[in-house]
Amino acid sequence: MKDQKQHLMGVFDGEDPLVEAFDKLRDEKVEMADFFTPFPIHHILEHHGRKSRLITVSWFYGLFAALGVLAFLYYTAVISWPLNFGGKPSNAFPSFIVITIVLTIFSVTILSLFTFSARAKLWPNVDKRIYHEGATDDKFVILFELDQIDEQKVKSLLKDLGAVEIIEK
Amino acid sequence: MYKTEIRGPLILGNKSLGQISEEITSPIYQRPKMWWLVGMGISSILMLLGFWAIYVTISTGIGTWGVNNTVGWGWAIINFVWWIGIGHAGTAFSIFLLILRQEWRSSINRAAEAMTVVAVGCAAIFPALHMGRIWDAFFILPYPNTRGPLWVNYNSPLFWDFIAISAYLLISASFWFLGMIPDFATIRDTSKSKIKRMVYGFFAMGWRGSSWEWKRYEGLAFVLGGIAAVLVVSVHSIVSTDFAVSVEPGWHTTLFPPYFVVGAIFSGFAMVMTLMVIIRKLYKLNDFITDRHLDNVAKILMFVSLIMGASYLTEIFIAWYSANEYELFTFFRNRLTGEYTIQFWIMFICNALVPQLMWFKKIRKNITAIFIISILINIGMWFERFNIVVTSLAKDYLPSAWVDYTPTFVEISVFLGTIGIFATGVLLFFRYIPMIAIHEVKMVNKLKVNKKR
Repeated sequence: MKDQKQHLMGVFDGEDPLVEAFDKLRDEKVEMADFFTPFPIHHILEHHGRKSRLITVSWFYGLFAALGVLAFLYYTAVISWPLNFGGKPSNAFPSFIVITIVLTIFSVTILSLFTFSARAKLWPNVDKRIYHEGATDDKFVILFELDQIDEQKVKSLLKDLGAVEIIEK
Repeated sequence: MYKTEIRGPLILGNKSLGQISEEITSPIYQRPKMWWLVGMGISSILMLLGFWAIYVTISTGIGTWGVNNTVGWGWAIINFVWWIGIGHAGTAFSIFLLILRQEWRSSINRAAEAMTVVAVGCAAIFPALHMGRIWDAFFILPYPNTRGPLWVNYNSPLFWDFIAISAYLLISASFWFLGMIPDFATIRDTSKSKIKRMVYGFFAMGWRGSSWEWKRYEGLAFVLGGIAAVLVVSVHSIVSTDFAVSVEPGWHTTLFPPYFVVGAIFSGFAMVMTLMVIIRKLYKLNDFITDRHLDNVAKILMFVSLIMGASYLTEIFIAWYSANEYELFTFFRNRLTGEYTIQFWIMFICNALVPQLMWFKKIRKNITAIFIISILINIGMWFERFNIVVTSLAKDYLPSAWVDYTPTFVEISVFLGTIGIFATGVLLFFRYIPMIAIHEVKMVNKLKVNKKR
């Protein structure tokens, strides 16, 4: 599903001008829709309310995976078909721990990857609009939605802030 | 931030961001060079030899190998442990240096992770073949079956090993791939070739570098990094329990898990060093992989070599201190002296003594010298595994069961085959994937530019 809205883009050629522009635009209470940068800019991630619950979710994946694996081991080794290995107890808890740790890591990896893929909308052949091709190379882009901003004011602000390109798309 | 530059910049040449993308991706656009084609040819021949040997092993059986009832674990297990050890460097680089906030890692981690994935793949071949009847390999999985259901033995370190290696392969491959997504997007957006845009675009999975993507990306990298750190330590500890849980003289020690983990990091970092010197030389990436990077790796190797030496001496000391006649025999009559003395001293000299030369700055600055040392370490680490596997098994408690062990041509060919697979994998990596994490280098470069102001 491609984004059909009308957009304005301010393109900068460095991190510092971008951060400067971000602060200024924030002070002016201009609504900024998104940012496209070649590497993460933590100042913007922090101050533009970008919050991800991925870490919390992964923690719960880990908890459930650990309990699930332990339960499975207990069921198979003690309840379903107890085997006698040299007279050792069927519920060989210390042995289970090793397997539990590794399988928990295994499950957390897979589940977190899929969560990331789904939430960040990253999968092969995803239909996404690429706003500015330089954003993965050396350009830093601020994206505005035209219906949320005063176009003339933002354009002149961007010019003052040293945007190298102002594009309407 | 430092006001005085004590350590020098991480990326030389005051590069702009565009320049960084261009220089790192340039090998992808060049025609393959002569050395690349020759290397590919040789490694393909080795690989074919390996496939032939694997075919013979599977179709005829383990009888084509030199292993026997006494020395049941020959080259297969030596090579398995050797490869898995080499495969430890990538994740160790990425994770430990990430946790320790070592920014110089960013020029090296991509290559180290690539190497990890290929090496772990090579390692997995050996236990699979050594099990015999590979078509029944699925018996190793605990699944509800019609034989009871008969579940697997959870007390067996061999089963732990199977899980650990699978998990390690999965997590190192996904960590590697995750790091490459933004770089694939860079190629998609900068390439002029339509096919490259399509292929790299497929793997970039619609990455645009938006703030939401970066936020989640960093969250995921944190999660994977955190759990992989546990895995790095646990995988090789588990490999060591394959040995330590048995009652063979020379294996049954509590030293084994840390000793194996350190040994793995040692051989892995040595392989990273070998590869870095090659990449630098062939692709002229000296501005990214600077002398300082190599110097840092050399210092780590030197320090880890001390731990290795301490472990060897500890083993010998404990054998003497225990006054156990079997331990005494294994270490003093069968390793330090005796039939296997050459293998023992190659191990000791290559791993514990030669790397100590790197205390001297002159040697650390000499690229040829550290290249040779890194190769010697890899040879030494192979002989360490030989020492552990063969000397203990060939002469254990019962002298009437003592047997010599010589590998057959098939066994050697499987090993040469994995070297071919490794070399092929690494050469393909050189050619088709950005060898250095572009977006991470850009971040590191930025730090230095800011400092200069």
